[in-house]
Amino acid sequence: MPLYRSVFKDETKLDINYVPHRLPHRDKELRLLTEFFNFTLQSPGAMSQRVIITGDIGAGKTALSQRFGSDISREANKRGINFRYVHVNCREYHGSLFLILQHVVSAFHPNFPKRGYSAEELLPILAQMLDEENGYVILALDEFDSLVEKEGSEAVYKLTRLQETRQNKPQRLSLICILRSLEAIGRLDPSTRSTLQSSIISLGKYSEQQLIDILNDRVSVAFKPLAVLEDTMSLIAEIAFSENGNARFGIELLWRAGKHADAEELEAVTPECVRKAVSNIVPAMRKDELAMLGFHEKLFLLGIARLFKESHNAYVSLAEAERAYAIVCEELEAKPNSHTQLWKYLQNFLSLGIIKTEVSKTGVRGRSTLIYLPRIPAFELERELEALLEDREA
Amino acid sequence: MDVEDVFSSRLRIKILKVLAQVGELNVSEIARRLGVNYGTTNMHLKVLEDEGLILHKQFGRIRIYRLNQNSAKIKLIQNLFEVWENQNK
Repeated sequence: MPLYRSVFKDETKLDINYVPHRLPHRDKELRLLTEFFNFTLQSPGAMSQRVIITGDIGAGKTALSQRFGSDISREANKRGINFRYVHVNCREYHGSLFLILQHVVSAFHPNFPKRGYSAEELLPILAQMLDEENGYVILALDEFDSLVEKEGSEAVYKLTRLQETRQNKPQRLSLICILRSLEAIGRLDPSTRSTLQSSIISLGKYSEQQLIDILNDRVSVAFKPLAVLEDTMSLIAEIAFSENGNARFGIELLWRAGKHADAEELEAVTPECVRKAVSNIVPAMRKDELAMLGFHEKLFLLGIARLFKESHNAYVSLAEAERAYAIVCEELEAKPNSHTQLWKYLQNFLSLGIIKTEVSKTGVRGRSTLIYLPRIPAFELERELEALLEDREA
Repeated sequence: MDVEDVFSSRLRIKILKVLAQVGELNVSEIARRLGVNYGTTNMHLKVLEDEGLILHKQFGRIRIYRLNQNSAKIKLIQNLFEVWENQNK
């Protein structure tokens, strides 16, 4: 067997969950975030903070928050403060406050029962745990809009006003809310909104040069020396820039291009590897976002993808999409969900940027919702979804 | 309580063993893992707690039990479990 050679030194450094030690072009924001939470180290318990981090996909919101969380945890532990940074992706927990709180509680008591109480009971339980262990938490709520969508103002209000029910006790819970646009905050009632909107960090779109710097940093830790050509980097940065400055997309593309280079037994990742990689990547959308969709959401989206694949129209109607979904359900022997549920799924696809919708205008009887698939080739979407559904069955 | 009274119950030993393995658990989970009912588990937990071998924390309606690491007896019991398990490997 020939000796296996690879352009990679450590490909885990390109993984979506890897938090780099340095965040190029986000130092100012990192410093600001550290300033906001300075009290955690100086005088823990004296106050609590709520910070919003906002920016487009791949603008570095999650990386910024996690880098900060890791740094502050290390510093707090050095000073003997019982501090935890807990990062929760609200979408992964279906936007449920109960599941999110359960995750936080399990950071302190891993075997805490999963059932038998409500979210209302969990909040005081968490406060009690923190009091007893003299602990402090910064809870980072990633994809915060998902929590707002599912639970509305009430849940956010409860989280932000926890301290009010604990007069004269140390303030132990701070929040970082991470979301793409402030639109979701606008849907909250005025009193809840006012508790949140004090500190906002907006991350702008990366420039092409900034993307090159980010990619360079990753290349130095993930690839062997001279394994990525300069032209390759420029091409990836150019593509990532056209994808709205999406650094994550660029990093994923870099990894895929490396895989193509390895498959072809090349010594370096060439621009051609990037072109091959880009042709089989789902653009404008992260694969993990697709993976996070619920079973019926995947079925509904698969129905939509198949409709677009078979038709040459720019749009399909919601009624057509529902019929296509019913066929997919029949194929997979699943009981179809109701129209109301499908409508909710559609709103989720919309917020993820997978589809666009429009209400039909003149010339059409009645008003119906038209669905567009603006950037993703239907056959790619179908392939990805079928693979995910197959994994589920396996 | 005399040592023979504590160790005369198979269930009490099982409770100590599961807490030594897992760290801390609520009553229903202990009962589920040992395949016995809630009432019986509760009764034995009370005996062990009265003897100072275990402690509990109350969170709302939930009681979480763990071994009392400040008890010299529990250290010996944990030692006994370890030696026993290792010899049986």
